[in-house]
Amino acid sequence: MASAVRATQLFTIGFLFFALAAFLTPAALADNGGFTPVDPASDNADGIKDTFLFVSIFALLIFLLVEVVLVTFIFRYRRRRRGRFEDGAPVHGATRLELLWTAFPIVILVAITVFVFIELPGIRGESEAEAGGNALEIDVSGRQFYWQYEYPNGVIAIDHLRIPTGVPVRLAISAPDRDVIHSWWIPALGAKLDAIPGTVNTLAFEANRPGTYAGQCTELCGVVHAKMLATVAALPESEFDAWLAERRSDQSAGTSELGEELWEGVCAKCHGDAGEGGIAPRIAGSVVLSDAESLEQIVRNGRGEMPAVGFDWSNAQMRALTTYLRENPPRGEQSG
Amino acid sequence: MASRAETHVPAWQRGRFASWLVTTDHKRIGILYIGTSLLFFVLAGLMAMLMRLQLSQADAGVLGPDRYNELVTIHGTAMIFLVIVPILAGLGNFLVPLMLGARDVAFPRVNALSYWLFAFGGAVLMLSFFAEGGAASSGWTGYAPLSSQAPGNGQDLWILSLHILTAASVAGAINFLVTIHNLRTRGMSWMRMPLFVWSIYIFSWLLLATLPTLSAGLTMLLLDRGISIGGWEVSTSFFDASDGGSAVLYQHAFWFFGHPEVYVMILPAFGIISEVLPVFARKPIFGYKAVALSTIAIGFFSLLVWAHHMFTVGLPNSLNAFFMLASFAIAVPTGVKIFNWLATLWRGNLSFDTPMLFALAFLSVFTIGGLSGIYLAAFPIDWQVHDTYFVVAHLHYVILGGSLFAIFAGLYYWWPKMFGRLLDERLGKWHFWLLFVGFNVTFFPQHLLGLDGMPRRIYTYSNEGWEAYNLTSTIGSWVMGIGLLVFFWNVRRTSKRGPRVGNDPWRGDTLEWYTTSPPPPHNFDRVPYVTSARPLYDLRRRLREGDGFR
Repeated sequence: MASAVRATQLFTIGFLFFALAAFLTPAALADNGGFTPVDPASDNADGIKDTFLFVSIFALLIFLLVEVVLVTFIFRYRRRRRGRFEDGAPVHGATRLELLWTAFPIVILVAITVFVFIELPGIRGESEAEAGGNALEIDVSGRQFYWQYEYPNGVIAIDHLRIPTGVPVRLAISAPDRDVIHSWWIPALGAKLDAIPGTVNTLAFEANRPGTYAGQCTELCGVVHAKMLATVAALPESEFDAWLAERRSDQSAGTSELGEELWEGVCAKCHGDAGEGGIAPRIAGSVVLSDAESLEQIVRNGRGEMPAVGFDWSNAQMRALTTYLRENPPRGEQSG
Repeated sequence: MASRAETHVPAWQRGRFASWLVTTDHKRIGILYIGTSLLFFVLAGLMAMLMRLQLSQADAGVLGPDRYNELVTIHGTAMIFLVIVPILAGLGNFLVPLMLGARDVAFPRVNALSYWLFAFGGAVLMLSFFAEGGAASSGWTGYAPLSSQAPGNGQDLWILSLHILTAASVAGAINFLVTIHNLRTRGMSWMRMPLFVWSIYIFSWLLLATLPTLSAGLTMLLLDRGISIGGWEVSTSFFDASDGGSAVLYQHAFWFFGHPEVYVMILPAFGIISEVLPVFARKPIFGYKAVALSTIAIGFFSLLVWAHHMFTVGLPNSLNAFFMLASFAIAVPTGVKIFNWLATLWRGNLSFDTPMLFALAFLSVFTIGGLSGIYLAAFPIDWQVHDTYFVVAHLHYVILGGSLFAIFAGLYYWWPKMFGRLLDERLGKWHFWLLFVGFNVTFFPQHLLGLDGMPRRIYTYSNEGWEAYNLTSTIGSWVMGIGLLVFFWNVRRTSKRGPRVGNDPWRGDTLEWYTTSPPPPHNFDRVPYVTSARPLYDLRRRLREGDGFR
């Protein structure tokens, strides 16, 4: 009825595991991606990575223990020439051994717990959170389907956040009462935190090297959840200060990049980069785009399936979009 | 021969199909459960393969975002509520009375009601694709307020379907509990009960303890969406922050059910493994008591860990720490089981038939799923990998590599008892290897995707660095698909031509192997007195020693 396991079968198993490992290892060692979280750019992410590696020591150990014992037993105790129904050793248990392998995981788990609590203050950015007046506080608001940032001086930005390097930053993460739950996550900067209507969650961290770090919303938030991307650009402090001041004066003059950010972050995700239509209808060439009043009406109140994406935008923010659209009407087809 | 009283069956109920419609026989109901679940399995599996196709390349255009979100939602909901749980309930239905030496479950007609409610609830879920606005699209977790704001009727049908399935499961759970408490045959004390029955016992308690909370959460969700009865409009704001509600409240209600549900899916799988390994190792289970008690411990702790799904909502760290420790606590009895299973192989006489292959594969891959669970339970790591493909990989290692592999072990093992014919071994091995390899190729790379920042439930991505892993994963899903085709081909081929192998082809130790294959409607003409957890082993020994049985 059943064949004894043949050496060839066992070689097949070994070969498959080997092939899998051989296939995955180079892929894993490629510049991004691998068996560990992405390269940390903050103490928070650093602490998480350390915890990850610490847990990995035990996970690998237990993994190897179980798999090696399993494969050894499969080889060692296979039937060979014995009768199919011949009894194995009449062993019913061994209390001491069982107590041992109850206690041994407890020891490991205690070790992991201790390590977690040692790393926790760094991961939570506690020193950054306590930086008092030195910390830069930014409001982060998750909306279907864009991130809106507000700096203390009133500067608004969409999706692309700029922060100074080496300065503590405190994000107050939330979502408007009428919106849904989103989740803020920039892998290189550490922990994710949900943006929940009616709740403010605080995340403190400090980017320790300049660079642009990508992330995206990680809580299913509706139809184009996948396009709710975010970047955080950590700039040298002086460069950041200059940018913030310039952006502020531009914004009050109505010439800032905010208009373009609004188009790309709020409109284009559904209507297409050139207004050519996507999951929402084509809007290129629509008279509404050049009519500031009707545009504002739709953006503030929504229409049909379109949500009221700009229900709480300031007049300046609304003007930034209308100005941008007047100067750069979407052409209806992708260039290049 | 014991006397039996067959009730009169009217002629119209004896037909080939009619007899299945009116049956209250636990064995037939069990087979109905399994068959129906396999049908849903095919549908939900095809959904997964479509999603994998969409994700095989960056910016692919196979599926639109709304369709993708519907598939994400219904694939998850169906695999859990319509596939894994009901197949286990089906195996439980077929096996529990037989293993207890009973004639049927305690309430045969309630049992039939459970099945038909399940079939109806499943149909509601699948047909919701045709609802106005399509099927539900807020994930199998249906988080408010996304779900409470969702337009169309898909979400309402999703709630209705889960309400019906909940009613079915509660009735089924009570039935199992009453059966196990009252219908054990002479001599079968609790500590002589087959480990599969132990697992169904805890499975039932967990369902009973947590499903009411799910129902409450779903009812609040339904009311938040607004209902209208005869012109009387009700619309609440339980989860609506703009009116003083709390979106996080829904998550508590959902996960208080949702995490024990994981153990509802895995404990009976553990039970199957604890039955299969000893028979193919020709040894008693190593440490029966530890395996039985660890089932209870896992069941208990599983009620205390729900918020480890909520580490990123901003709970105080004191709570995060509590839920981390409670989750770690589960790892201990789970480890006990794994080590006891390994020790069961020690000095055994191992045969590698398909049920055993699936059971051994379960051991090897479930360990990976268990270990990735440790990462997720350590809340600072979860802050990084929560809601990414790391979680998708973890849950599939547990539910597919764990529950489903064990289910296949169980199906190959008990198939001859159910139908009197063995499934073909050669096709079984093809099925096993394709599934095992395909499974690892599909899901292992997903750990790496998650670590690299790919969130779950996204219909597309532009990051080219994710393409290679995603393509690998998609290829793996097709290998699994072929493996499952082999299984269904096996079922079809052997239904007429499979070898008939008698009552006890594997020389099992539990009572179901004492009766004919398939068993008669009343199960047993007589049941041997149970003197240990291995009544048939004892019986064979007594017969060998010329002692017979009394």
